[in-house]
Amino acid sequence: MIFEKRTERIFLATFFIIALCIPLFLESNSFFVGKATTILILAIFVMSLDFLVGRVGLVTLGHALFYGLGGYLFVILTPEYEAVNFWIYAIYVMCVSAFVALVVGVVVLRTSGIYFIMITLAISQMVYYFFFDSLHFGGGDGLFIFIKPDTSIFGLSFLNLDNPTHFYYLALLGVLITLLTIKIVLRSRFGRIVEASRLNPARTEALGYNIFSFKLISYVIGSTLAAYAGLLFALQYGYVNPQFMTWEMSGTALVMSILGGMGTIYGAILGTITYEGLQYFFEHMSKDWMLFMGGSIILMVLLLRKGLAGYLEKLLEK
Amino acid sequence: MSAELFFVQLVNGIQYGLLLFLIASGLTLIFGVMGILNLAHGSMYMVGAYLVWYFAAVTGSFTAAAALSAVIALGLGILIERLLIQRLYNRNHLDQVLLTIGMIFVFNALQSILWGNDPHGVSVPDALSGSIPFTDNSSYPIYRIFAALVCIGIAAALYFVVSKTRLGMLIRAGESNREMVEALGVNIKNLYTIVFAIGVMLAAISGIIAAPIRSIVPGMGESVLITCFVVVVIGGMGSIKGAFVGALLVGVISTFAAVLIPSMSNMIIYIFMILVLLVKPQGLFSK
Repeated sequence: MIFEKRTERIFLATFFIIALCIPLFLESNSFFVGKATTILILAIFVMSLDFLVGRVGLVTLGHALFYGLGGYLFVILTPEYEAVNFWIYAIYVMCVSAFVALVVGVVVLRTSGIYFIMITLAISQMVYYFFFDSLHFGGGDGLFIFIKPDTSIFGLSFLNLDNPTHFYYLALLGVLITLLTIKIVLRSRFGRIVEASRLNPARTEALGYNIFSFKLISYVIGSTLAAYAGLLFALQYGYVNPQFMTWEMSGTALVMSILGGMGTIYGAILGTITYEGLQYFFEHMSKDWMLFMGGSIILMVLLLRKGLAGYLEKLLEK
Repeated sequence: MSAELFFVQLVNGIQYGLLLFLIASGLTLIFGVMGILNLAHGSMYMVGAYLVWYFAAVTGSFTAAAALSAVIALGLGILIERLLIQRLYNRNHLDQVLLTIGMIFVFNALQSILWGNDPHGVSVPDALSGSIPFTDNSSYPIYRIFAALVCIGIAAALYFVVSKTRLGMLIRAGESNREMVEALGVNIKNLYTIVFAIGVMLAAISGIIAAPIRSIVPGMGESVLITCFVVVVIGGMGSIKGAFVGALLVGVISTFAAVLIPSMSNMIIYIFMILVLLVKPQGLFSK
């Protein structure tokens, strides 16, 4: 069983059952289906960050770089007025993103601790300004996706991406695949060594493992998953712009993941839903929503030691 | 580039660098002594600028407004440390990151509630409003020179406090071995409160000094925060000397980049930082 904790199984079962049913209730309201889709896409992004920060021990403040990259690469690599095959181009985008992550990883992994946070921030800011100041890639306005790709596999088409409900299920599938990928990686021999090197780098190295390459591969996995989330987000809204890769985006994802319970992976889903839910609620309650949002974040840090997942576990585990 | 333009840009760069140093010194002091990465540091800069704008309008005197704002900032620093930061000393860094991000939200909201979202400006005090002629057809504003001198003065004062006084001795001792300082009977909690409050006040003073030169707008804290990160990382986290060198480098480089290669000017300091970290992964003046 790759889901070891009772709380984890209960939460995920509840989440997937509710998530599968949501469009049945909201069918008439495409705004809420769209909102739910966005939350799912963000959950993919936050899970990939939670894996890197909580499990590999790489605290990055530049994760949004790959979120934006996924969107940009899709627009740049596809022909402008032609419906391409979603799956083929998704794999294409992820391969290129993985290569970029490999190059970036070799540079950033030379540093550690607080310097790692800062160098990831610097590189993402650099790329942000590259796209922001570039005339070729649309500058601050970004690029637009005019035609949604088709999702047929061997000529069989199940999903029509122009339909919000279909897009919702594509995002939910993304959440499932991301969750399983991370969980399987963590359960494997590879994942065990990665965790060992976070907990005790000296001993792991003494056992003959090259920590650097394990971290590098993990960095590539986490970044590629983030690129997939960014690609979905760009497709949902039909554009990509530099706002995808601001440091605020990276910071917000970090907040969601700490809020959910760092390193628990399923906590990332919980944190994303809570954060987005609170923000939606406060935004509609008052124009000074940031005050309440900030206040709730501060209160949660002070009260919850291990995030929301930690609190749930206290309730459900014996 | 003519020699004249070069000289003006150089002075501009140094002046900007000195201002950056003033903000970054608080950030690096707090990190060096307390091990806390205060992401809300930029908000303190914003608070300083808004306070001086508000009090200058109320009292009509820039000097009075500046003094009042600095004192309020000091009190705010003590309050934040006692109410919030103190509870997180035994937690991991990520909880501190989360808390200080929450503080950014709160300060941005308070700014919008108390002072609105329109850009504001503070006029330069009369005594400092002229310009000094450079050559026949160029001159340099006195206030900018004054601002640079204030920054140098504070840098010197900071150096004196840290290296020559008892408080400075405790700060340096706290940086290298917290437990030992405690074991020797020093109340480290009070020391931390003082250091945090001084750090906050330094950021606010930078905001006060910058107010007449730069426009006071929402979000001004965040943009300066990231630049300060670059400064302290280049210099070496926790090193005040490093922050000084880093700030001057960043100030001069970004000023010249804006003139010489405008299309890349925003990127250049990040490229510079990455190059520094590749050569010295702990910054220029790491311990």
